[in-house]
Amino acid sequence: MKKTVDFIVRHVVLVFLAIVWLIPIVWLVVTSFSGYRGINTAHFFPESWSMDNYKALFLEPDSVVQYGAWFKNTLIIAIFTCIISTIFVLMVSYTMSCMRFKGRKALMSFGIILNMFPGVLSMIAVYFVMKSIGLTNSHLGMIIVYSAASGLGYLITKGFMDTISVSLREAARIEGASEATIFLRIIIPLSQPIIVYTVINSFLVPWGDFVLAKLMLNSGISTDWTIAIGLYNMLNKSLVNKYFSIFCAGGVIVSIPISILFVLMQKFYVEGVTGGSVKG
Amino acid sequence: MKKKVLATLLATSLVAACLAGCGNTNADSGNTPADNAAPSTDAAADNTSADNTAADNTAADNTAAADTSDAVATLIANTTDTVKLTVWASEEDQELTTKLLDDFKAEYSDITFDITLGSESESTAKDTILTDVEAAADVFAFADDQINELVQAGALQEVLANYTLDVKSENVAGSVEAASVNGKLYAYPMTADNGYFMFYDSSVFTEEDVQSLEKMLEVAEAAGKKVAMDIANGWYLYAFFEGAGYELSLNDDGSNTCTWNGSGATDVAQAIMDACATGTLVQMTDEQQATAITEGTVAAAVNGTWRAETAESAWGENYAASKLPTINVAGKDCQMSSYSGCKLIGVNPHSANVGWAMLLAEYLTNEDSQVARFEARGLGPANIAASNSDKVQANPAIAALAEQAAYATPQRVGGNFWAPAETLGQILANGNPDGTDLQTLLDTAVEGITAPVE
Amino acid sequence: MKNMFKSIGNYFKEFGTAVVKGDIGVKLSLLVMGAGYIARKQIINGLIMIALEVVFAVMCVLYAAPNLAKFGTLGTVQFEQVFDPLTMTSTVNDYDNSFLILLNSIIALFIILAFILVYIGNIKAVYRLQLRKEAGKHINTFGEDLKALKNEKFHITLMTLPCLGIILMNIIPILVLIAVAFTNYDQQHMPPSALFTWVGWRNFKQLFTNSTTVTFGYSFGKILVWTLEWAFFATFTTFIGGILMAQFVNSKKTKLPKLWRTLFMVAIAVPQFVTLLLVRNFFGDSGIVNTICSNIGLTSFLKSIGLVSSHLTYIPFLTSPGWTKVMIVLINIWVGVPYQMLIATGVLMNIPVDQLESAKIDGANKFQIFWKITMPYILFIMGPSLITDFVKNINNFNVIYLLTQDVYVTSDQLLANSNAKEVDLLVTWLFRLTNEYYNYKIASVIGILVFIICAAFTLVTFTQMIKGNREEDFQ
Repeated sequence: MKKTVDFIVRHVVLVFLAIVWLIPIVWLVVTSFSGYRGINTAHFFPESWSMDNYKALFLEPDSVVQYGAWFKNTLIIAIFTCIISTIFVLMVSYTMSCMRFKGRKALMSFGIILNMFPGVLSMIAVYFVMKSIGLTNSHLGMIIVYSAASGLGYLITKGFMDTISVSLREAARIEGASEATIFLRIIIPLSQPIIVYTVINSFLVPWGDFVLAKLMLNSGISTDWTIAIGLYNMLNKSLVNKYFSIFCAGGVIVSIPISILFVLMQKFYVEGVTGGSVKG
Repeated sequence: MKKKVLATLLATSLVAACLAGCGNTNADSGNTPADNAAPSTDAAADNTSADNTAADNTAADNTAAADTSDAVATLIANTTDTVKLTVWASEEDQELTTKLLDDFKAEYSDITFDITLGSESESTAKDTILTDVEAAADVFAFADDQINELVQAGALQEVLANYTLDVKSENVAGSVEAASVNGKLYAYPMTADNGYFMFYDSSVFTEEDVQSLEKMLEVAEAAGKKVAMDIANGWYLYAFFEGAGYELSLNDDGSNTCTWNGSGATDVAQAIMDACATGTLVQMTDEQQATAITEGTVAAAVNGTWRAETAESAWGENYAASKLPTINVAGKDCQMSSYSGCKLIGVNPHSANVGWAMLLAEYLTNEDSQVARFEARGLGPANIAASNSDKVQANPAIAALAEQAAYATPQRVGGNFWAPAETLGQILANGNPDGTDLQTLLDTAVEGITAPVE
Repeated sequence: MKNMFKSIGNYFKEFGTAVVKGDIGVKLSLLVMGAGYIARKQIINGLIMIALEVVFAVMCVLYAAPNLAKFGTLGTVQFEQVFDPLTMTSTVNDYDNSFLILLNSIIALFIILAFILVYIGNIKAVYRLQLRKEAGKHINTFGEDLKALKNEKFHITLMTLPCLGIILMNIIPILVLIAVAFTNYDQQHMPPSALFTWVGWRNFKQLFTNSTTVTFGYSFGKILVWTLEWAFFATFTTFIGGILMAQFVNSKKTKLPKLWRTLFMVAIAVPQFVTLLLVRNFFGDSGIVNTICSNIGLTSFLKSIGLVSSHLTYIPFLTSPGWTKVMIVLINIWVGVPYQMLIATGVLMNIPVDQLESAKIDGANKFQIFWKITMPYILFIMGPSLITDFVKNINNFNVIYLLTQDVYVTSDQLLANSNAKEVDLLVTWLFRLTNEYYNYKIASVIGILVFIICAAFTLVTFTQMIKGNREEDFQ
């Protein structure tokens, strides 16, 4: 008897929590199918349903909605950012975790401290650095901005590599393998979960950043934008009443690839992050 | 015959003035040729417009016309490469601007243009431009409240000469004033309807009701409707204080002079609080008003043309517009004031093709373009000829703005005004929840508003 | 600290020895960098060094010298542009751009510093070669040197690119902004049309003195307190929430744990800025939640118990200071707990089972097990990430900015006078100061202070932890 009560209470609580977590998402989805363009504040579910917002996203591009172009831009930037960042993070992590050289500890602490300077402040200087090499308003510039300093995010990956047994490396060394071989042939294959973790995290950066992107892509030409700038722009005071439900549709679409990525990689992600934070 | 003599005399004297001006220019072109050249071209431009009205052909207008068209001809002759220009117009204006740009290209068909059109809302243009002036568009649209900061940041090319139209005489005086700083013209007026007025549902209010705020609130309460205004916004809050005769103005260094804490100003604050305390005058931002109007809870709002469209579609035939009502301050009815507003087009002095940028700015703001803008989007023209057309006159919003114009002032206020005024408005709209002494409240706000510029 | 000075001392001592005891090749290297290598027949190394020296010299003359010459004043020639109405063209003088001078000077100083390090390293390296030669040891060929980059010097190969990236995109911008804190770079002095210059500690003094018109000091204090409160609540609520949720979902008594986990994960899959902007409208003053609340009578109930002030017709979720602070923390739980749950799930899977079993045998109940075994284990493992989370929350720009920008109006006049709001974090405040008011000088001062606070906090807590039980990981 006590067990059934426990069972029911437990699942009622879970259902309640799930509702809390899903309500805004449900609202996002139903609003995206709404026939009304602005913010519907009177009813949770729209009074008329339509696919117009999705049509507007893909079939009727205007200067405010260039979703196809944004998606393409963001995807390109995200793929390259993710490749470069992952390589950088792995290189730094391996160096910090598996190699011993003068000044390693100092470098490590320095890296941690550097991370603490508020990024939103130094953005303006980043902008002028990029401008002086002529890379503002270009996707290459965005890739560099997102991935160049990614080496600083080595901490969790390094923690993961610390857990890989030293004897493996030593055995390889005795057999005459170079450090490069050990890095490429032994450590990288063993770091699969943390690589997935790094890949996901760095892949997500361009999809969510609007501050830096808005500063760097300042030509006003909306086909150059990333999804984040475009969607943020739709909520501009003068536009929100016409574009809110299109914003929702855009939000739904952008979530699809990310959700798929998460579901596919969930197992590795958990392993990676926990493995890494074990030894932080 | 007499007329002709007079015209000739007038023309000759103008030619003389013109030549004198030109001579001057050449004499000390080393120092500030720009300043000296200004009167000469102005005279020339005046001349062109003068002889448009006087049908007589005299030698004078040939010289004058030659003067300005010479400059354009020289420019065309000197332009060999592709002219690259970037233009920023608001999202809503893209379609029309694309068309106008095509027309502009057709007008100067000898030149190869590479014009890129970007979108940048007029109300936020300043934020993007000031971050990096050099990267901003060559020609951009902006709201006139940003002109001081833009001029100060060196983001606007002074309009020293006109070539295809005469900005000062063709546009309404208010818009020219709005496009000038310290008497110097810095931009080209595009629309003259960026101020605020009041629109209402005439099935709720009669024309007499909307004369005074108190009457309106009474009627609205009886009808179960609300009157909306964004009081927690310095732009609208100004209406009350200016209306009651308190001063707010801009100093040369970018700081403000403000007497909103002067003697008797607490009565204004009290009047705002009393009106809000009825629960019928509600503080609502523009976006909230849009929703509330659509849903039918709001039957009158103080807002601008951008929101009039929403009201028009919600109220249909009953949509009406008028000047702002009066408000009773300590027993005296004060007509609420307002900011008049314009949308302007500016030219970036860092542009590589300033000449072409200026011609384009002129083109985008000439009479035809302003008429086209009114027809496409219902925006009130700044051009005198365009705004005198019957169609424009028949537009209720534009008529209401014209009615309000007598009580409106162009917006000249420094950046330190907004945050303190916003908070003051918020506190008053909320009925002063902390019970701070009203005089202290106003004193603190004025301190913030008049703080030296950082 | 002591070690650091000692190693710096050694560094220069070695250099001195090399110079004094070096033969002609080493001494010649002081002038022509590759000489020492060429003397030992390492021709390619020598040529690379000579090329490097030449490039550096050219850089000095063309780039560093003109910028550094103006570094002291940050430029003196004001921008002037003259438009000729007759030819419709404009001429611009050769003006100084203070910001670019500052930026380029710092980059130049960086290059010079790097060159000095290479220069000293070069002398030492050729001296080592000399010693090897004297001892009759083998001297590497170029090919062997390259090979070393794959082996004992592999760290150099690996670190070069990432370090370059970090220097260019992180260190240099930070140094520039630190320098800006000592200038008068603000809206009155904005390049390119105006110049700015050094003002010493004036901006710092301004932040710490209160006057009636300038209230930065007052605002800084208030915002700092809220920033720390926020960081504390945001970190611990999501942390504990995540663990409880993970426990709950992964418990054996829960049916379909995977389904529940995926449901909560949906909230992560939607990008943060979308959910936050959505939620901002969701809880707007005339938003859907308010409509529902007033329909079911919650609004009037809250009014009657005084939680909502009487003149309002809505619940000010994101517009009154008290409500907003609570809502922000709650919304942050909504955003952050699924992440923490994911991590905690992994940690809980690795929990030593034997400890749990023996505790059960000893008759401990569920709560005792949780508090005595599970929690300490999790804390032990996730402690460091807790600290980094705390620092991240101090700098948590997105949540606060997206939820309150354009919506929240402060009702504290003194805060308003310095463009701050009650719910601002230091980072959102400094962002608005730069983005809307172009007050880079004060923003930079605030940025430096945020940096000091975070760095001090981390150093203290991290060294505590490292001392405790993870010595071996850090050796």
